[in-house]
Amino acid sequence: MVNRIKQFFIQIGELSYFSSRFFKETFNLPFEFKELLRQCYQMGNRSLVLVVMTNFIIGLVLTLQSRPTMIQFGAVSMMPNMVGISIVREIGPVITALICAGRIASGIGAELGSMRVTEQIDAMEVSGTNPFKYLVVTRIWATTLMIPLLVIFGDLIALYGSALVENLKGQVSFQLYFNTVFDALSFGDLVPATVKSFFFGFVIGLVGCYKGYYSKKGTAGVGIAANSAVVMASLLLFVVDFIAVFVSDIFYEI
Amino acid sequence: MTKTKLENLRLGIFVVIGTVLLLFAAFLIGNRQNMFKKTFEISAIFKNATGLQNGNNVRFSGINVGTVNGIEMVNDTTIRVKMTIENSMRNHIKKNAIASIGSNGLVGSMLINIAPGEGSSELIVPGDELQSLSKIGTQDMISTLNITNENAALLTADLLTVSKALTEGKGTLGRLLNDTILADHLQQTLKNLKQTSESSNTTMGELNRIVRNLDLEESAAGVLLNDTVSGGRIKNIIQNLENSTFQIEKITLDLNTIVGDIKGGDGAIGYLSKDTILVNQLDRTMRNIEQGTERFNENMEALKHNFLTRGYFRKLAKQKKNEEKQ
Repeated sequence: MVNRIKQFFIQIGELSYFSSRFFKETFNLPFEFKELLRQCYQMGNRSLVLVVMTNFIIGLVLTLQSRPTMIQFGAVSMMPNMVGISIVREIGPVITALICAGRIASGIGAELGSMRVTEQIDAMEVSGTNPFKYLVVTRIWATTLMIPLLVIFGDLIALYGSALVENLKGQVSFQLYFNTVFDALSFGDLVPATVKSFFFGFVIGLVGCYKGYYSKKGTAGVGIAANSAVVMASLLLFVVDFIAVFVSDIFYEI
Repeated sequence: MTKTKLENLRLGIFVVIGTVLLLFAAFLIGNRQNMFKKTFEISAIFKNATGLQNGNNVRFSGINVGTVNGIEMVNDTTIRVKMTIENSMRNHIKKNAIASIGSNGLVGSMLINIAPGEGSSELIVPGDELQSLSKIGTQDMISTLNITNENAALLTADLLTVSKALTEGKGTLGRLLNDTILADHLQQTLKNLKQTSESSNTTMGELNRIVRNLDLEESAAGVLLNDTVSGGRIKNIIQNLENSTFQIEKITLDLNTIVGDIKGGDGAIGYLSKDTILVNQLDRTMRNIEQGTERFNENMEALKHNFLTRGYFRKLAKQKKNEEKQ
């Protein structure tokens, strides 16, 4: 038990050290720009379909589920406000980040883990390439930059799904729906959510890279690295979300 | 390498679209808050801000034209509300426009309504102060409604007691409604009254004729009647008597209908109800009237046997017997 708690703190410490190393290496020229673009493509474009599908369904289902309750209150006309705000503020970023944690963090974990296991990382070091710079910095930057964009797409699609339900069930035109949504939204909703999603991206990349980079030797280590990367990234996402909501409340009073 | 180029192209499209969407959303939101339009500022003084906050909408004749951007206390009864209005509205809002605080629906947020004033006036310029109108707030409305409600409750309670008393047969009206014997009595009384008045009418007519016939005879009555002055007077008196009998007849007819109405329950006499003594008194009075009319009847009977009128009444007696049998 004590060992477990100790292990937990060791992990936190290692993660902190890992992230501080990331910031140090980021500002060390030269920057691996080509590799960054490649990773951005891998993480951004390749995740788009997944994100779009999940968010579309979430928007659809959220509207379908909350409609009966809103009808009971006679507040169906408030549906766009409610769904719009909840998607933009919370559901869009969190769902997108979780999906990406599943897809990207595990991918990074497995990729770097297998590189570690097959001693490719050691080989890089020997050959004079900085593996941290080439592998870790580019990946973390890629996730940090791509997740917010994916969140924007996801939000839009989720709102579209919600508008579709309203349009079919409540005869609300798309124009009216989006007018109401943007009436209800303010910068206090959009800005914290966008800032938050940068941190989500950072967390996903960081945890994925950390788990992969320090993967245990042996083939089993790769699996463990991929698995624990997803678990830890998802967990950390919620912690970050919690902190972000607290901090944004200070800047934008409700 | 070609593969990388294609990837980069796709990535570029993805990034550009994402960024444009983000900026577009930001623009739309900012647009709603009049951040990118040219605006000017006006203000209005209110006594009570009734929950207005910064950012609430300002409407001119129902169109959103701006937002509230400042609420400051000038002193304990004046609150200055500053409003940012779209520049294009400078051609429409006039100096005599009236600002009032309203709410967007029953549970919606507060907003300022600017209504155009009557008559013509100059156009507004930045920094102007609009006239304001303090509307009755929802709270006041509800308190007024509350008083009305309480009154209605009292009223219905009163009505309830009244109707209860009526159905239980308390009070004059209740007795009248429920006591069938009394009603019968009343009807009988009125019938008697009618008969009496009829017979008195005929008696008077007969008397009139007799008096006319007596006219020039040399008897005491004749002498009395030859005196034209007193004769005229007596004539007058008799005339009056005749009139009054007609009126009595009318009154009894009216009474008859009234009693009919009361019996039918159409009367709306109301609140005198709880006085049961009055009923007893009425009862007694009616009985007295009955007795009185009976006596009057007797008197009339006596009159019938008078030598002067005996002849005429014999004829009538047969008719009357027939009527009573019926």
